[in-house]
Amino acid sequence: MASPIIELDQVTVRFGESPLLEDVNLQLEEGQCLVLLGPSGEGKTTLLKLMAGLQIPTKGRVLIHGINPEESSRKERKKLFLEMGMLFQKNALFDSMSVLENVLFPMREISDLTESEQHRLASELLEAVELDHVKALFPHEISGGMQKRLGIARALSLKPRIVLYDDPTAGLDPITSKRIAKLIKDLSKKENVSTVIITNDMMRAFQLADNIVFVWNKQVDMIGSPEVAKSSQKEPFRSFLRGENRA
Amino acid sequence: MILVHHLSDSFSAIFKRPHFRELIRHLEFAGVSSLPIVLICVCFAAMVTILESAFHMKILIQNDSLVPGFAALLILRELGAVITCLLLASRVGAGYAAEFASMKVTEQLDALKLLGIDRYWYLVAPRTLACALSGAFLTLLANFMCLYAAFLISNLILGHSSSAFLAGFRVFVTYKDLLFAAIKGFCFGATIPLIASYFGFFGAEGAEGVGQATTKSVVASSVTIIIIDFILSWLFSHFY
Repeated sequence: MASPIIELDQVTVRFGESPLLEDVNLQLEEGQCLVLLGPSGEGKTTLLKLMAGLQIPTKGRVLIHGINPEESSRKERKKLFLEMGMLFQKNALFDSMSVLENVLFPMREISDLTESEQHRLASELLEAVELDHVKALFPHEISGGMQKRLGIARALSLKPRIVLYDDPTAGLDPITSKRIAKLIKDLSKKENVSTVIITNDMMRAFQLADNIVFVWNKQVDMIGSPEVAKSSQKEPFRSFLRGENRA
Repeated sequence: MILVHHLSDSFSAIFKRPHFRELIRHLEFAGVSSLPIVLICVCFAAMVTILESAFHMKILIQNDSLVPGFAALLILRELGAVITCLLLASRVGAGYAAEFASMKVTEQLDALKLLGIDRYWYLVAPRTLACALSGAFLTLLANFMCLYAAFLISNLILGHSSSAFLAGFRVFVTYKDLLFAAIKGFCFGATIPLIASYFGFFGAEGAEGVGQATTKSVVASSVTIIIIDFILSWLFSHFY
């Protein structure tokens, strides 16, 4: 069996005395799509940031391609980071740059592509997310759904092997939400990209996931395929699906 | 401890090859865009200085003939650099602190990290270099503007002739004063982004955090400029 792309081994994260995550074990395989579900404040974003190497665990270790970013050199760490793209919860768009510049920025700063190649790739990405008509505008001049799509385009600009999405459909209307879900699925399948998605949109979760991960009480409470998850009788997960508060 | 790490990371980034696009952008923002406000403010400060000096000298020794020389000395050694950089701290430093704090809140700093871009190299170093160079450049221009304003007041209001002003100027002022003023401007300018980035990167979250980072940055920069001014003035006094 191939070794996992990302592996969390007995990971605990604490903020002061209060735990954000406790003893989490999780693996992401190549080409797999994991969907993280769970109530707000249970540590889903922390889990995603751990996988991205943006959060340092208090205990345990995170391995990306078998390498612990904390113990690796700056050069190795940079190489690992370049394997990843991430759509942040707040999009993290560079507000001093236009739509086009946001997509060009990673290529301009990191890649060895010529200027014309960068522009060609950026145009392709903006076309894929249907933003080519607003490329001269700034992030604050476009709608929330467009900002999400721009975040996705930027996350994919360096052709990452792993893409992490933090709530890509939050606050969006069903039509835009459906378009974004389709976009994520198409892009993942086309490039065989490994994907981790946080969402509270149940329909999208079951539509996109190879495996559902339910985060509950600061721990991974359940992992399984959408079919397994649907038939799961574990009470916190059933209550969460029914929208009932078990706290 | 965080401050020590912050400063060591900043200094190591400053000595790397700079990000030229950002450096040029911030030279324009910190230097060129600050020019009008700096010149207007120092001009009036110089006029007040020479008027007040003349008023008090007339009371004390019934003679204000030394005023042009003293005023020129005060302007070159203190006023030009300090007022210029205090204005930079409030205009540019406040902007940088708010920008960094907002970038933290909106996860832009995380986005940079994920791209493998060192925030000290990309954000802090170009701003520090730009502010240091702008500090020196603006200080020199401010000094010339101050001297011209002082000359006008001395000539038009106090009744000193042009030759008397220049004679007093030559007695009291040397080329070293101009050089030391530029060094002061360079040092004061460099502290502004270093302090702004510290409060921006490590401040509290949220809108309140952005406000606090801005206020703290301006206050800390102003105090630091005044302390550095004392240290440099004392150091430079050994060279006269």
